[in-house]
Amino acid sequence: MKGAPVSVDAISIEVFKNLFAAVAEEMGLTLQRASFSPNIRERLDFSCAVFDAEARMIAQAAHIPVHLGSMPASVAAAVEACDEFHPGDVVVLNDPYHGGTHLPDITMISPVFAGGDLSYFVASRAHHADVGGMTPGSAPLSTELYQEGIIIPPLKLRLSGWMNEGAMALIVANSRNPAERIGDLEAQLAAHRIGESRLADMMIEHGVESTAEHANALLEYSRYMTEAVIARIPDGVYRFRDAMEGDGQREYELPIQAQIEVSGEAMRVDFSGSAPQALGNVNAVPAIVRSATWYCARLLSEEDIPVNHGCFQPVAVTTPAGSFLNPRFPAAVVVGNTETSQRIVDTVLGALAQALPQDIPAASLGTMNNFTVGGFDGDDQFVYYETLGGGHGASNRGDGLSGRHCHMTNTLNTPVEALEYSLPLRVRRYHLRDDSGGAGFHRGGDGIVREYELLVPATVTINSERRLRPPYGLSGGAPGQCGLNIIRRDGEDTVVSGKHSAYLGAGDRVIIETPGGGGWGVNQSDAEVIPG
Amino acid sequence: MRAGVDIGGTFTDLVSYDGDGGQLSIHKLLSDPQRPERSMLAGLEAIVPGGISGLEQVAHGSTVATNAILERKGARTALLTSAGFRDLLFIGRQDRPTLYDIHPRIPTPLIPRERCYEVEERLDFRGEVLQPLDLAQLDRVLERVAADDVDSIAVCLLYSYVNRNHEQLIKRRILERGIVDEDWRVVLSSEVLPEFREYERASTVALEAYVRPVMSRYIGELETALPAASSLRIMKSDGGVMRAGRVRRQAIHTALSGPAAGVMGAFHLASVAGHDRIITLDMGGTSTDVALVAGEPQPRAESAIDGLPLRVRMLDIKTIGAGGGSIARVDAGGALRVGPESAGANPGPAVYGLGGVQATLSDANAILGRLDAERFLGGNMALDLSAGERALAELARQIGYSVVDTAQGVIEVAIVNIDRAIRHVSIARGHDPRDFTLVAFGGAGPLHACAAAEGLDIPGVLVPPAPGVLCAMGLLLADVAVEYSQSVICRASVESIAALRESQEDLLARARHELRQEGIGAEAMRFVASLDMRYEGQAFELNIPFGADVIEAFHAEHERTYGHAMRWREVEIINSRVNGIGKIDKPEMAALEANPHEAAAFGEKRSPLGGQTALYERSDLKPGASFAGEALVYQMDSTTYVPPGWRARVDGYMNLLLERV
Repeated sequence: MKGAPVSVDAISIEVFKNLFAAVAEEMGLTLQRASFSPNIRERLDFSCAVFDAEARMIAQAAHIPVHLGSMPASVAAAVEACDEFHPGDVVVLNDPYHGGTHLPDITMISPVFAGGDLSYFVASRAHHADVGGMTPGSAPLSTELYQEGIIIPPLKLRLSGWMNEGAMALIVANSRNPAERIGDLEAQLAAHRIGESRLADMMIEHGVESTAEHANALLEYSRYMTEAVIARIPDGVYRFRDAMEGDGQREYELPIQAQIEVSGEAMRVDFSGSAPQALGNVNAVPAIVRSATWYCARLLSEEDIPVNHGCFQPVAVTTPAGSFLNPRFPAAVVVGNTETSQRIVDTVLGALAQALPQDIPAASLGTMNNFTVGGFDGDDQFVYYETLGGGHGASNRGDGLSGRHCHMTNTLNTPVEALEYSLPLRVRRYHLRDDSGGAGFHRGGDGIVREYELLVPATVTINSERRLRPPYGLSGGAPGQCGLNIIRRDGEDTVVSGKHSAYLGAGDRVIIETPGGGGWGVNQSDAEVIPG
Repeated sequence: MRAGVDIGGTFTDLVSYDGDGGQLSIHKLLSDPQRPERSMLAGLEAIVPGGISGLEQVAHGSTVATNAILERKGARTALLTSAGFRDLLFIGRQDRPTLYDIHPRIPTPLIPRERCYEVEERLDFRGEVLQPLDLAQLDRVLERVAADDVDSIAVCLLYSYVNRNHEQLIKRRILERGIVDEDWRVVLSSEVLPEFREYERASTVALEAYVRPVMSRYIGELETALPAASSLRIMKSDGGVMRAGRVRRQAIHTALSGPAAGVMGAFHLASVAGHDRIITLDMGGTSTDVALVAGEPQPRAESAIDGLPLRVRMLDIKTIGAGGGSIARVDAGGALRVGPESAGANPGPAVYGLGGVQATLSDANAILGRLDAERFLGGNMALDLSAGERALAELARQIGYSVVDTAQGVIEVAIVNIDRAIRHVSIARGHDPRDFTLVAFGGAGPLHACAAAEGLDIPGVLVPPAPGVLCAMGLLLADVAVEYSQSVICRASVESIAALRESQEDLLARARHELRQEGIGAEAMRFVASLDMRYEGQAFELNIPFGADVIEAFHAEHERTYGHAMRWREVEIINSRVNGIGKIDKPEMAALEANPHEAAAFGEKRSPLGGQTALYERSDLKPGASFAGEALVYQMDSTTYVPPGWRARVDGYMNLLLERV
């Protein structure tokens, strides 16, 4: 083993790792507790992080992987858009083509000064349940960005501590539930106040220069550890191909092609050969592709590497312009963040499985099963968004988990007792989907069955995948079962496509059965009955 | 004669008090983990001079429930849920506990899936019946439960916190059919936790059903062993005690019994001495418990045990894997880490000389001369300093430091973990640690307290006279606590609050009755009525005492906690609570006269930091004595380290107060 690679000592690196992480954690706690929408307060669909003045991520509070690798682009976009920063500024944005990922994810960035010098940024990203657009919940089957909601380019929502009330009013007026938006945006601002003051305290306590020096050292530390992980992968070129099932306009195969070149301590991942830009909503901006790829590299480490810019450096990602992994404005993108990101993970892990067959698990459910619903409950407009877990892929180490979120998300469910209290919905069933996991020496985990009954007429939109192409098994394990979306009207069941939107009546039901995970290895008892 | 008995994994600690201004006696013996009641009896016989027949009251802190959960050795139980929801315990909140884990695992649920059953029935959120309970189907389910041969049955139906009828019908049917023989073996969610959020409620009711038979058996053994005339009380996680019989209804309330006793002991001793805003640092061999008390203990209802949500009110105690036995290592990136892996008691730290080779926090302290090599644990254990030095030298080689610098580094890294835990209970809850006194106890707390205080600018540290038996002290001093709550969920208005004030009379009557059962006289009863409130649309409530203008009090508390209030928003009331306290007669603690004087050291030794470290014997220090760091204060069960730049003095209550100069 090499000696300590970092420029500061082994002791203080650990001390500052904790100090920076505590700043992001406290921001997250504040945001959760002060927020209003079930999506943030119950499901924790948000992330907080600390960046240096060069927009390099130093520390994060771990919530949602897809946010974290894509937030650096937000900070960079804020820096580019603003001529100068002052203490008390907060930049807000959601434009996927300028630092965002999809419109519901509203990101805030605020500078932290040491004396007169801009030293750090704190950032928060939260998924807001509605930002306008074609259908309630802002996850429509769209064909251009304009249909997905209000586009917020990087702009100052707070200037030197003064609220830009006009910008706030404009954002809020574009949401189907403005009161909730104000509450959630205020909660984000509260998180920033905490983050800014904690970082300032930290610089007073430990000195500006020492804090900066240790921030740099933390990046070196994570880079070194990530390189050590990559060095363990045999050098070579590994390819894998998986595909999305449709773009919400029609069902057709959109291949994702990954070529991974591992050479010593570096890894290059090239997505050339992936499908061209789609008409529908599955396009993913490059920040998402990088985020999903970095997540895979981080997954390979047994050691608890703090996720920061240093983890990203050894992994280069190429996305061909004009492909659906690097679309041109104003291509529709709302599902790229949730669905395409999951398939990128399946593709990258599939390639890595050739290099590390004993380490990589079979495919997990590979979809977030996005369910959005909205309409009127009497005079009150309501909107709701949630996602569902399913079966995890089995691996050499054991069976896959059942009924849980995988890879790029880790949001919680909304308790049925909280959901039915605040919305005109009833959840009729919520249980595991027996025998949906793929068979194998180790079994894939089982999916979930969730049955909703509408109590008032409402627009329902489902964005899901793995309805046609099942999560793959590995080392001889069977694939998991495909998911299934069913609409029940007047007692009659109709199986609908993976991406579907419909205006339904009171009493109608939506049944979502989520995919099982792939199996791993050959089941001995199965093998015996196969002749030869 | 009354006694407090804390039975821990290694030691059993006892404190007794004979009432009417009598003396406190202290005793410590090794625990018998297989037969904890024997440890209790042996300890009581040693501490009660006239024999245990003279005992009136024993207050006990127990780890039996905690261990049953951690080791998955609880009762065989089954779960009944509403139709469509049998997998409540398995889906949980649908998340995985670790974000970046190639093969994530979840904590093993306490009830296996094959013993989770659905009952055909359904209520809506108002408690109205959508589908009546299907008794024929229930009977078929109960046939199968009967075949499972269970010790207890947990029942958690949707919306039972609004309408408990279906759960009660199920209980009646179970008993009629003799599926279990005693009614306490049927555990209803509407009785254990009548509050919303079905997974957390199901998890709590499963935990209760899992530990109730175990605790019931254990309490039965204790009661048989104790004289019939003495009454046994058990410490709850919220810092109050209850009579042992209540454990058959509230077994899971003992999950944090031991740590809660420590917090209560610390709070009592500190507040008598004039410090009623404290942060406790209870540091043992494998872990450290940190808690905050601002004027009075404030239990919270959001916690978990071994990854399983537990929503009963508990003191806000944060536990981290940093203790004397925590192992120090260099990770793949070259950073020094301490814990959470622990050398445990066997082999333990290298200096124990039992074969441990990995450097631990205790080894680092030993190398820096901060453990008393001759009298470690009262002279019962000789330290093998050369083994400790070998372990640290290996670590020093890896990071390229001297052995002494490495030892200091190990302590520094352990402290930053403690620092984060203290932030969690203070800053993250809207409290400024600079307004608090750090009370250090447990074997290793007083060694690390000043360093922990420095990082957060905590101005003072208090080390009680007997830091090693503070939990037992807390048991002796704890008041009887009862709590009644009801989920109410309504919009806050002048009318709704007036109506709630009336309905609280019922909760109050129940609390008063319960305290009377505990043998508390009316003059010793105290009641606090409060409401859990939030803005309409939020998910987390703030607990607001029932006062003149509760709505304004809520806005103000929201502003204090989160930095903003929204007075234009509707406010909701979620739960109505009444907490009853039965004041227990406490040993009179009068301040001794403190004549300021410079204390005399009994010796000194060379400090590895340069200069000399003065050595003091705790029992030689009289009220008013003071001295400057760097110094070490030795006593039987703990060592206090006073760093350079700190000054120590003894107050009239024999506490050691450490302050930055």
